Amino acid sequence: MRRRYFLPLLGGAAASCRRSARRLYVYNWSEYVAPETIPGFEREFHAEVRYAEFESNEELLAKVFAGNSGWDVVFPSHYFIPPMVENGLLAPLDHARLPNLANLALASPPWDPRLAHCAPYMIGAAGILYNPKLMAEPASWNALWDPAVKGRITMLDDPADTLGAALKRASRSLNSTRPAELAHARDELIRQKPLVRAYLNAEARDQVMAGDLMAAHLWTTTSLQAIAEAEHLRFLYPREGFAEYCDCAVILRECRNPELAHDFVNYLLRPEVAARIAQHTATATANAAARRLLPPELRESEALYPSPETAARGEYFATLPAAAQQLRDRVWTEVKAA
Amino acid sequence: MKPRTWFLLPARTVMLLLFAVPMLIVAAYSLLTRGAYGGQGAPWTLANYARLLDPLYLEILLKSFWIAALATALCLLLGFPLALFIARARTRKTLWLALVTLPFWTSFLVRTYAWMFLLRDTGLINTILLGLGLISEPLPLLYNDAAVVLGLVYGYLPFTVLPIYAVLDRIGPELLEAAEDLGATPAQVVRRIVLPLARPGLLAGAVLVFVPCLGAYLTPDLMGGGKSILIGNVIQNQFTNARDWPFGAALSAVLMVIVMGLLLLVRRKTSEHGGLP
Amino acid sequence: MNRALSLYAGLAYLFLHAPLAILAVFSFNSSKYTVWEGASLVWYRALLADTRLLEAALNSLLIGAAATVLATVIGTLAAYALWQRRAPWLEGSLYLSLVTPEVVTGVSLLAFYQWIFRFLDVRLGLHTVIAAHVMFSLAFVMIVVVARLRTIDRTLEEAALDLGASETQTFLRVTLPQLAPAIGTAALLVFAISFDDYVITSLVAGVDSETLPMVIYTMARRGVSPSVNAISTLITLAIGLLTLTAERWRRA
Repeated sequence: MRRRYFLPLLGGAAASCRRSARRLYVYNWSEYVAPETIPGFEREFHAEVRYAEFESNEELLAKVFAGNSGWDVVFPSHYFIPPMVENGLLAPLDHARLPNLANLALASPPWDPRLAHCAPYMIGAAGILYNPKLMAEPASWNALWDPAVKGRITMLDDPADTLGAALKRASRSLNSTRPAELAHARDELIRQKPLVRAYLNAEARDQVMAGDLMAAHLWTTTSLQAIAEAEHLRFLYPREGFAEYCDCAVILRECRNPELAHDFVNYLLRPEVAARIAQHTATATANAAARRLLPPELRESEALYPSPETAARGEYFATLPAAAQQLRDRVWTEVKAA
Repeated sequence: MKPRTWFLLPARTVMLLLFAVPMLIVAAYSLLTRGAYGGQGAPWTLANYARLLDPLYLEILLKSFWIAALATALCLLLGFPLALFIARARTRKTLWLALVTLPFWTSFLVRTYAWMFLLRDTGLINTILLGLGLISEPLPLLYNDAAVVLGLVYGYLPFTVLPIYAVLDRIGPELLEAAEDLGATPAQVVRRIVLPLARPGLLAGAVLVFVPCLGAYLTPDLMGGGKSILIGNVIQNQFTNARDWPFGAALSAVLMVIVMGLLLLVRRKTSEHGGLP
Repeated sequence: MNRALSLYAGLAYLFLHAPLAILAVFSFNSSKYTVWEGASLVWYRALLADTRLLEAALNSLLIGAAATVLATVIGTLAAYALWQRRAPWLEGSLYLSLVTPEVVTGVSLLAFYQWIFRFLDVRLGLHTVIAAHVMFSLAFVMIVVVARLRTIDRTLEEAALDLGASETQTFLRVTLPQLAPAIGTAALLVFAISFDDYVITSLVAGVDSETLPMVIYTMARRGVSPSVNAISTLITLAIGLLTLTAERWRRA
């Protein structure tokens, strides 16, 4: 190659290297930031953010598990943090670069008490979204086992959530690993199956709104989106108890630009940024300072931020041992095959 | 190197690197033990295969075969006359052919959602039937096995039309005209001439439909509402939710062996009749 | 007979197209939900503003085109060679690739890629998706082309060889023209499968290689979005125009 062609090429390559040094790859749940969140960061930090979305923890985990996915910052649910740490996938958080961690309500969560690897982002739970025009308030999980709702309810298509609901109905722990308790939950779910129209996740939202369904076992965020569009709908946490989870920001060990990744996490933890996200997505932020900035109807929402007596009935998912996971998977397959 | 050996080289490279080696990795996984948090590691074991003897999984396997066979039969039944129509069309063959592939260009998910939109309680079909006063309660059209089969047939019908057409197109009109001149009824022409000649296309179509139906998991999930579980869902679940890659790998290995056996049987059957080399 | 066949074909085309036609109609619905609230272009405007969707559509076209060319060429060459001689290992692996559940193919490819990435500084991206698509499309090309080859008279080739044509000449001038319809069919099939694939693609796609089905899946799992209806309508229309033009051009 002739020299005068070669030199500009080299210059171009160097420039593109410099540009990619200011590039951050972020993989998050769908509908989990506000429209101006990413452009705001790009402007302020002169960086380019490549942002993509996933729909389930498994999708994320399948990608990042072998450690060469290309992503820098990702958002797993809390019960996947210990396995990810165990498998050496996460970079330790440098608290000196994350002053905004002080804004968190969850300063010492049980899955990572010192926030060594994760910054809690959003808190969620599963309860019942229902149509008061079609049924009475389902104060107990029993309402979803009532023959009167036959064909007009859905349960979540997620073994942890739905086994969890059956276990809670029997006043057991969500995370039970006892064969007898799981067998009981299985029998109850099989008994309930003829009443269940389908096992659906977010798709149930449209059907409740259309009046096809009386009620749906659904996540808080999805339910609040439905209520925002159809105000007659209601959401509640059944009295026997309910499941909670927390999605967290983590920096992968493979990250090529840890400074920028820390800047990004710290940016998300800013009260005004987090508040905009919480407002736009109608999700419960883990950021106490951000919550104070929210309009009262969101800040005081019983569904998002349950009162102490409701919150006491919530239980976080736990990371279970291998044998228990296998047993629970077989139980779930039995329910599905029945 | 002779041209014919050279012809095979690219395909061999692709299949070795991107199929055989990855499959060996999966085969190795099926003999490993699931790690505490997913992943896989020592010791080597046959326990994953032992778990397959559980009647629960055998029952699911049987049901999957039944659903896939039903969908395949329907696809052949519906696809053959359509392929015949295209092959015998005097004009615009390309257009008719393109009209078969056209629905394919839309995402599989959107096509499925289009049917869900038609079939749900407040969907178009129930709304029209209710409006006409033919029914008083919405019919439960969605979230059952019939809806799953419908979704599979809709999804894979072009897979039968294309190969059957490719073969039928080779049958010259002279052959059919000669048969008609000799006094054969249209039914006889189809049964005695077209069907035997179309055999390779029919078999290719059947294989193209049966196999993806057997491993399908999106359709049972979406059209079946997750209420019935096929073997594809069990496998998918092992690789995602259950994070039990060794068991998922063992399930896949067994499924592949069974289907390979069936395919060999089909090949033997056809070569007995002199159809395949 | 012919009339009955035409009638049947009409019904079959209705079955294939009515759901999509209805989808297209509802892409003009001003309401976000499946209740008709009047015609509007609001979802098409939203489409133009959605860079993510446009980028994904571009990725899908790129992957589909590359996979179609590569798989059709490689597959046709191999199918032709297999007509002349046996290659049991290749045939076996092609059959096996066909019977492998998509999720297993995807997971095995992912495991493989991540294994070789230990030695090479490459990441998941467009190239890994294209390679995967070429692999799983090969068997489809082979099936269609081999089915056609079986109906071809071998004596034509032998005559050409006897008359002094080289093997390559024979292939290019005698056999290839006879295979053309099957190759066209195979190419259409490959593009359709590649453009449509979600399961394998979502597993082997990395950064900067999100495809249309992946975006649509994400959107659709949150309830049917009219933007998805709009883009499906556009794709279907574009492809329809393309095939019509191709047909006119072919006859001219």
